[in-house]
Amino acid sequence: MIRQRPQILLFKLTLISALISAISLPEMIQSAAPFWMLICFTYWLIYAETKAVYTFALLLGLLLDLLHGNVFGQNALALIGSTVFILNVKKSFYVSNLSTQQVYVFFASLIYLLITIGVHWTTQGFDFSYLIFLTPLTGAILWPIMHFLLTKLKR
Amino acid sequence: MRLLKPLIPALIAIILIVLDTHFSYLDKIKRNSATLLSPIYFLVDLPSQMMNWVSDKGSDTEQLIRKNERLTNELLELKAKLQIYNNLVLENQKISRLIDASYTLPANSVILARIKSISQSRLKKQLVINKGSNDHILESQIVLGAKGVVGQIIQSTPFYATVQLATDPTQHIPVKNARNGARGITKGLASNKSGMKVEFMPSEADVKLGDVFVTSGISESYPAGYPVGEVIKVSTPQDEAFLLIRLKPLEDMNELEFVLIVSEPL
Repeated sequence: MIRQRPQILLFKLTLISALISAISLPEMIQSAAPFWMLICFTYWLIYAETKAVYTFALLLGLLLDLLHGNVFGQNALALIGSTVFILNVKKSFYVSNLSTQQVYVFFASLIYLLITIGVHWTTQGFDFSYLIFLTPLTGAILWPIMHFLLTKLKR
Repeated sequence: MRLLKPLIPALIAIILIVLDTHFSYLDKIKRNSATLLSPIYFLVDLPSQMMNWVSDKGSDTEQLIRKNERLTNELLELKAKLQIYNNLVLENQKISRLIDASYTLPANSVILARIKSISQSRLKKQLVINKGSNDHILESQIVLGAKGVVGQIIQSTPFYATVQLATDPTQHIPVKNARNGARGITKGLASNKSGMKVEFMPSEADVKLGDVFVTSGISESYPAGYPVGEVIKVSTPQDEAFLLIRLKPLEDMNELEFVLIVSEPL
């Protein structure tokens, strides 16, 4: 478990993921890039013992919606959906090796993606770059690197 | 009980989605909250600002003199072109009065802004500029590049503004063919890197490859006469009443550094 207060770690993780999310990337990379906030929040969920995780998920999702100019509540709903999955597999996630954790991150990202696309489809129509379907894969591939970097941050 | 915990936050999120998409109650809250996020854009933009600063400091005098000469020459050329344009505006006004037409060439003031970041959302095509409501940038103002329409302001905070690109699928621009005046509406294509299509052009309309579409000025949001895109594909699908027209934006959105925001008429 973490050595610093969970809220402080969450603040650091939020700042990092918000900064990474706001960096301008080429369109192709941007579409296929992992859900940075989800990756950071997953790390926090697994390694921090705290309550009110769904409230935090809601607030962070709303922050992301504001930052990206998305429909207000879209990322919040997606983050809550993924949080439900992560909390259900939390014990197994904590003791698993990195490759099993990658599978969990893949499914968490998939849930996030499906909810995001579902909201987008309902509110703005089914028109987006199909590269977005690579997101769960890139999230899972980059998980070991992110895990390593976030562990350094936690110390 | 375990599944009940996320139910309330999920319901709040769903209510917010409905409120945001169907009503405008959240607009003010969103605008004020977005202002609080300005430091994030400042931090992200810091490295490129530092690079610019170092680059400026590192330029030698001779280089700056050459650059200054080149820019002076370009300014002279542009002034000459502007005279021709001003004449055209006057001619247009005279002809419009003669034929009692409602269409006139626009005469708007513009504000120059630098781009901070592009397309930070994967589901929307948008960019962030370094001017905001403190610089009189308002929502729904049109944004231009050197070659044509870039998009429209969708959010303005005191320190920055967000521009939705013309290639975003939710952007619809009333356009007309500059060659013959045939009218249609453009729509961005998200699945295509930087494409647009023109909708509602009847199958008998005269459209050729290379034709340029300009804003028609029918809706109030886009003033008339600004170039939008060039036709790169025209086809008539069977049993369809409308042509299938693909446009390539005249402005390369990925190479933009500065944009002009068209404000209220002079």
